[in-house]
Amino acid sequence: MLEPGIEEKTFYLNLGPQHPSTHGVLRILLEMDGEFIANSEPVIGYGHRAHEKMAELRTYQQYLPNMGRVDYLHALAYNHGYCLAVERLAGIEVPERAEFIRVITSELNRIASHLLWFGAYLLDLGAFTPFLYCFDDRENVVDILDRVTGSRLTYCYFRFGGVRDDIDDEFIAGCRAFITRLRSRWQDYDDLVTKNVIFINRTRDVGIITPEQALKYGVTGPCLRGSGIPYDIRRSEPYSVYPLFDFEIPIGERGDIMDRYVVRLREMEQSLRIIEQALDKLPNGPIMAEKVPKRLKPAEGEVYAAVESGRGEFGTYIVSKGDTKPYRIKLRVPSFSNLSIISELIKDTLVADMVAILGSLDLVIPEVDR
Amino acid sequence: MLAEQIRNSLEKLELEKVAAGDYGRTGYHVEVAAKPEQITAIAQVMLEQQCFLESLTALDLIESFEVVYHFACFRELCRTVVHVPLIKGKTAPTLSSVYPAADWFEREVFDLFGIVFAGHPNLKRLILPEDADFHPLLKDFVASS
Repeated sequence: MLEPGIEEKTFYLNLGPQHPSTHGVLRILLEMDGEFIANSEPVIGYGHRAHEKMAELRTYQQYLPNMGRVDYLHALAYNHGYCLAVERLAGIEVPERAEFIRVITSELNRIASHLLWFGAYLLDLGAFTPFLYCFDDRENVVDILDRVTGSRLTYCYFRFGGVRDDIDDEFIAGCRAFITRLRSRWQDYDDLVTKNVIFINRTRDVGIITPEQALKYGVTGPCLRGSGIPYDIRRSEPYSVYPLFDFEIPIGERGDIMDRYVVRLREMEQSLRIIEQALDKLPNGPIMAEKVPKRLKPAEGEVYAAVESGRGEFGTYIVSKGDTKPYRIKLRVPSFSNLSIISELIKDTLVADMVAILGSLDLVIPEVDR
Repeated sequence: MLAEQIRNSLEKLELEKVAAGDYGRTGYHVEVAAKPEQITAIAQVMLEQQCFLESLTALDLIESFEVVYHFACFRELCRTVVHVPLIKGKTAPTLSSVYPAADWFEREVFDLFGIVFAGHPNLKRLILPEDADFHPLLKDFVASS
């Protein structure tokens, strides 16, 4: 495929690696037939930082900061996934209060991630105003998380057996104020975007992912739920204290861009519900397990643990040979599988639709490259 | 129970090992070990059971390789792991005709380990530059840290 000069009526168009709609350094080689895409091939790897090789050179603790840098938009889910895998491997029990704090901060981070997607995606489609609205809202989350984690983006807050710092009354008050604020915003978002006829026409019945395609490509997250499959790790493979909370799994019907958009918007409301319940039920107690060894040396064996990140299933596969360093860590990142379907989705569509479809997958390219 | 169905269907293939996993410790419901030439048949069984290919990776065990496949299901909680030992220098069959997801996973493994997947339609480097002459996840590759 894509050897120059084979089909004379087609020509090649390079999208990226420096294209604003790819949100990272992604290149897609497009073989164009007029305005339609005849064939395409994504070229990835520009942001490869060898995270998996780094894992083999560092101790378990030393690898923690890497987790905030794979998917920087939902860093706390990655903190959670890695800690979950190591805790399973080493048999560490996490106190309940720590698990509650993990859920609260992780859901706040999910909202921040979805809000950023919302703004940036509409910017792709040419709507500038929603971007300002949701960055205004997102700033609140970032401030709340900054107070407890100490950073605004690449969080490294979870530890094996708990979390680094306890939350205080100001954090809780901040969360409650944010919940009220964001709930009052849904109407604005609906009026501004969801009911906007231009937006509807650009997204309805475009970029449809069928459940069969999702199964064969391993698509997960809102992209899968938009196609009507209620697969959410928080529900289907419960971890942490998620089973204690009452929340819905929003799904779409047609699997088009509009459905994925609606799923993400409704997921933010469900995250607010989880945070609200967690704040109400927050138990007292320690935030770190006792007797977590400073030099962790898990017994020989392997483990696979999955969590739901903003983009889908994040899995950590760790193989231990009884050393202080992991023998191998494989990071199963959702954007990788979600991007691999793109050639099929954009075949025979217009370039303008391709931008809309690519953005709707909510890709974080450094996560694809690792 | 899906785990039981999968075990029953896989047992017909006469694999090296089909056993129930200890989910609380490893995260697996079914653990399988097989020869490279059996993996395509396993994948077909997994697809019939509506499982998706969650991850495909490899381990460099210095003497040999091991290709590791993870399958999970959208409908029911059931994770299957398939370990496929591979002698260095030998090829493994591609799964890309059964699962298109395997296309990129196998290219990644080829890129990082140098394992060749026979029958792959487009086996070239995925993450590293085309002209790279090393496979970084091999244990004898020394990274400057």
